[in-house]
Amino acid sequence: MRVFEGLYYVKRNTAMHRLDPRAKLVYVLCITILSTAVFHTALPMILLFISVIPLAVEGRVLRRLLSTLRGGAMLAAFIFIFNFIGRLWNIGFVSPSSPEFLEALMPSLAMALRFLTLIAAFSIFFLTTSPDDFAQALVQMRLPYDYALTFTMAMRFIPTLAREAQIVADAQKSRGLELEKGGFMQRIRNYIPILVPLIVSSFRRAETIADAMESRAFGASKRRSFLYMLKFKLSDALFSIICIAITAAIIWLRLSSFLPP
Amino acid sequence: MIEVQDLWFKYPESDYVLKGISLKVPRRGYVAILGENGAGKTTLVKHFNGLLKPTRGKVLVCGLDTREHSVASLARRVGLVFQNPDHQLFANTVYEEVAFALKNFSFPEKEVKRRVEAILAELELDRYRDRSPFLLSMGERKRVALASVLCYEPDVLVLDEPTTGQDHKQKEKLAEILQRLVDKGKTVVVVTHDVEFVADHIPISIILSRGQIRGQGKTLELLSNEDLLAETFLFPPQLTAILWKLSKLGLHPAPSMEGVVEAMLQARRQGP
Repeated sequence: MRVFEGLYYVKRNTAMHRLDPRAKLVYVLCITILSTAVFHTALPMILLFISVIPLAVEGRVLRRLLSTLRGGAMLAAFIFIFNFIGRLWNIGFVSPSSPEFLEALMPSLAMALRFLTLIAAFSIFFLTTSPDDFAQALVQMRLPYDYALTFTMAMRFIPTLAREAQIVADAQKSRGLELEKGGFMQRIRNYIPILVPLIVSSFRRAETIADAMESRAFGASKRRSFLYMLKFKLSDALFSIICIAITAAIIWLRLSSFLPP
Repeated sequence: MIEVQDLWFKYPESDYVLKGISLKVPRRGYVAILGENGAGKTTLVKHFNGLLKPTRGKVLVCGLDTREHSVASLARRVGLVFQNPDHQLFANTVYEEVAFALKNFSFPEKEVKRRVEAILAELELDRYRDRSPFLLSMGERKRVALASVLCYEPDVLVLDEPTTGQDHKQKEKLAEILQRLVDKGKTVVVVTHDVEFVADHIPISIILSRGQIRGQGKTLELLSNEDLLAETFLFPPQLTAILWKLSKLGLHPAPSMEGVVEAMLQARRQGP
């Protein structure tokens, strides 16, 4: 559940928090483009990853970010191992000192780092943007309100779900369920008594919420008004322009082969 | 049976939720744990089968230190019935749901069948045997959850808020079942803020407030202590409340429904 910690908004008053969600989206988009479409090797990936850190420090969410990354590390390790084994499989298993071995190793490492870089960028976005502001940004970007609301509600219920998962696990352990018992398949099956109550109660809750919302006239008028509107300030524009400029410069340098792939 | 020695507990990144709890629940004890919302009742009982381990202090269950034993081995002795049945129901039929714990504890097939049938009959659930537990009413789901723990006959039974969502008849039925367990030599701990239920049925109480024990002893004595109840945000049972009101009017009837009625009739006869 740790990986979700990076998705909860942490209320603080820093420049990162005050930035318009749309400006921060520009930043996340830039990192996404650079890490997926522009670069493919380990070294630039490490640099991209490191470039996220100062923003986390500025937003005073570094500790949260680290715990998210720790949560994501497991998955990153999986990505690395599967990539690496896959590549070794293709070239035939070679000795660790040969150049082919390194050729299989480095791109696999890059894949795992790419994953961590993306997690870090998205995590900073969610850590410093309140779900309400995010929804508002989506609406002002002309996404239908229903969709924006669905998204924020999903975010809102992640902590609830995490807490509930803990209670369910406790309840089943109290009836003698041992998660670590048995072989591989049995271990997966051990999770059924935890997943079923979670899913069922989520459906129940969704229905209750829908009823409660409709009884408060949700969707009664086509055009709804909003109490708060987001303003794209000069600082937001500057931040976005800097992000785009740096990204464009990097892409230009890359295309003219000044930078490695 | 259960011995808690100076238990302190905090969740990560929180203040202490339990602050120096010490208590003993003897074998065959029948004890209520009362307290306001957030007093730490559920946190406390989760220590009884090792789901939570003390930050400081010690919890001994049947002489076993909970820190040194797995939840599964402690759960065999201490059955914990959670507040919300929807947090545990998962099987396709009521039968399978109740059999879950028995299978976990490796009871032989025949014994599983015998015990499940017996407990379903006892809790009037036998007609739902092959139904999905999800289609039952809240009160029935609560009884299925209870059955799924009762079936393996743990030495200690801990129930978290068993009376919520139960009508009067079901509450009385529950009280009967619990009393029968105590008579059979089991230890029963009930966590609740249903003061009436406790006053009517459970002889010994522990009152918890803000993570500390504020009173323990005979239920009726505790529940007639006006200052203690006010401090711990508990509401006295109706009978006690009436007795207090009457005593302010200068009447001191015997502490029972009949006594109160008698005193009121007498007062009416005497006139104002």
